[in-house]
Amino acid sequence: MTDEIVRAEALRKTFTLSRKQQKIERTSERRKVAVDGLSFSVHSGEIYGLLGPNGAGKTTTLRMLSTLISPDAGDATVAGHSIVHEPQAVRDHIGFMTGELKLEGFFTPDYLFDFFGALHGVERETLALRKRELFSRFGIDKFAEVRVQDLSTGMRQKVSLVIAIVHDPEVVIFDEPTNGLDVLTAKVVTDFLLELRRMGKSVLLSTHIFSLVEKLCDRVGIIVDGRMVQDGTLAAVCGQQTLEERFFALYEELKGEVV
Amino acid sequence: MKLLAIAKKEFARFFRDRRMVISMLIPGLLIFILYSVMGSALWDEEEHYQFRVYLSGESLATEQITSLAAASDWSVEYLPAEDIAAAEAAVEEGEATALVVFSPGFDEAVLAYDGGTAGATVEIVYNSSAEDSFAFYTLASNVLSNYRQAFYVLPSDRADETSLFSSLLGDVLPFLIVTLLFSSAMSITLESIAGEKERGTLATILVTPIKRSHLAFGKVLPLAGISLIGAISSFLGVMFSMPKLVGMSLSGLVGGYGFVSYLLLFLLILSIVPVIVSAIAAVSTSARSVKEASGYTSVLMIVVMLLSIVTGFVGEMGPWVYFVPILNAVAGMQAVLYMSISLWQALAAVAVNLVFSVLLVFLIARMLSSERIMFGK
Repeated sequence: MTDEIVRAEALRKTFTLSRKQQKIERTSERRKVAVDGLSFSVHSGEIYGLLGPNGAGKTTTLRMLSTLISPDAGDATVAGHSIVHEPQAVRDHIGFMTGELKLEGFFTPDYLFDFFGALHGVERETLALRKRELFSRFGIDKFAEVRVQDLSTGMRQKVSLVIAIVHDPEVVIFDEPTNGLDVLTAKVVTDFLLELRRMGKSVLLSTHIFSLVEKLCDRVGIIVDGRMVQDGTLAAVCGQQTLEERFFALYEELKGEVV
Repeated sequence: MKLLAIAKKEFARFFRDRRMVISMLIPGLLIFILYSVMGSALWDEEEHYQFRVYLSGESLATEQITSLAAASDWSVEYLPAEDIAAAEAAVEEGEATALVVFSPGFDEAVLAYDGGTAGATVEIVYNSSAEDSFAFYTLASNVLSNYRQAFYVLPSDRADETSLFSSLLGDVLPFLIVTLLFSSAMSITLESIAGEKERGTLATILVTPIKRSHLAFGKVLPLAGISLIGAISSFLGVMFSMPKLVGMSLSGLVGGYGFVSYLLLFLLILSIVPVIVSAIAAVSTSARSVKEASGYTSVLMIVVMLLSIVTGFVGEMGPWVYFVPILNAVAGMQAVLYMSISLWQALAAVAVNLVFSVLLVFLIARMLSSERIMFGK
């Protein structure tokens, strides 16, 4: 339980701001540091939550770990592979999910499962076996032949989730799992994450919702302005306080004021 | 393997969607119908006229009119005009085709004419708004103006129909083909790349361990294939309606070219498809939305159309044209149609286009791995 499946070391990422972005951010700096020397690790078989306000660098961190973007400095290993030197191998071992990733509505869950299976290079027999298992486990078999565009939001979400783990990844990275979802769909997602933990997967998620962390996460890392402020088990981070109280206390310590 | 999966998905997206298939085939059908209708309006309007003509006075010219009309399969029936006013009214009301009034002693006066004041008149009452009446007037005045001439002009046009056509085809066809190719490639490529990017389905594919170059090829190749289907449909529409449009048989139109000409023509057309598709694909990849992509694409379309039309103006431009993508194929097609191409020119054009397409695909692959382009806001 204590071996590190994800290990981020001094990750750093800066973005160049356009004129317009400079105005929005009210700064004359051309470069914005999104992630500033972030280090943390996720243990095998746990759910780890990155908690922070919008703009803290959560999404950027998860994108770096998923090899969608590369860090300016620092490195991270995912299932033993470096995100800088072996991005292709990293992608083989992770399932990445965000609300921004969509499925083509024209195709059926059945077709898309096979399609993404092929993109991950899963063997045909293995794929068929996995499809049967996952589709019945998450109740997709009932609408496997219905086009995604004709499915309800909850069903669609299930399909997206299952397709993200088509290749049986050890690590699932999930950016803002319940953002913008209605209560029923959000429950589909949280149940799915708990199910993943039961299946022995390691989950890394980002969120700004305290209750989600309290409900799901074994350990939490609090990020403000691209830096890790505190991380550890929920009990260790919170002490006698609730997570929300603890977060605002830390935030006030750091910034001098809350808003 | 992964490239194949992408390609298969692109084909599935197209062929499983009946509406997409139909919309790809419809332009060819529309061109065929439109051109055929235009053609028949131009060429088939000659009808079988039966002229009913009131006649007053007499002349041998009436027999000449009848025999000339018979040459066009028309017939003339002369009725004696006993009451001129009644005959005029009949023409006005469309009951008769025309009224012809020869002055008394018309033929004798014409024969006796020596270049002084004309002593004979012929009056033709007709209605130019009625087709048959106007046709009769044209015919009759033709005969009468040549009546009793010392000589006839016998025209004989020796223009070779094939070369006439090759010049018509040579100027129009390459432009037409490039335009048709572009429009059939445009909608599906915009949809498949900029559309997928906008809807977030491309990002889902980028998260998987597929090589960016495989993704780029897996997109461009099937899109090129599908565009070719659309272009072939339009091309067939043009080829089958062209003879009707110009009033010639298909074999007369294309019979002048041999197998090699067709092969070269086909190769040249084939080589433009990947250039156009990968150019639109590259533009679509760099754009943030379908709307933005279609804006860029219309600029691209103007450039491509200019390239395909300049050869018509500039004519012989020297061998360097064979190294400019698209322009080379247009110049090549033109040269094939004018029967003045050399094999190396055609092959050079095809090779240049293929190399250019591959370069564009690698550019797309680079863009697919660019954070700024794929995930920049």
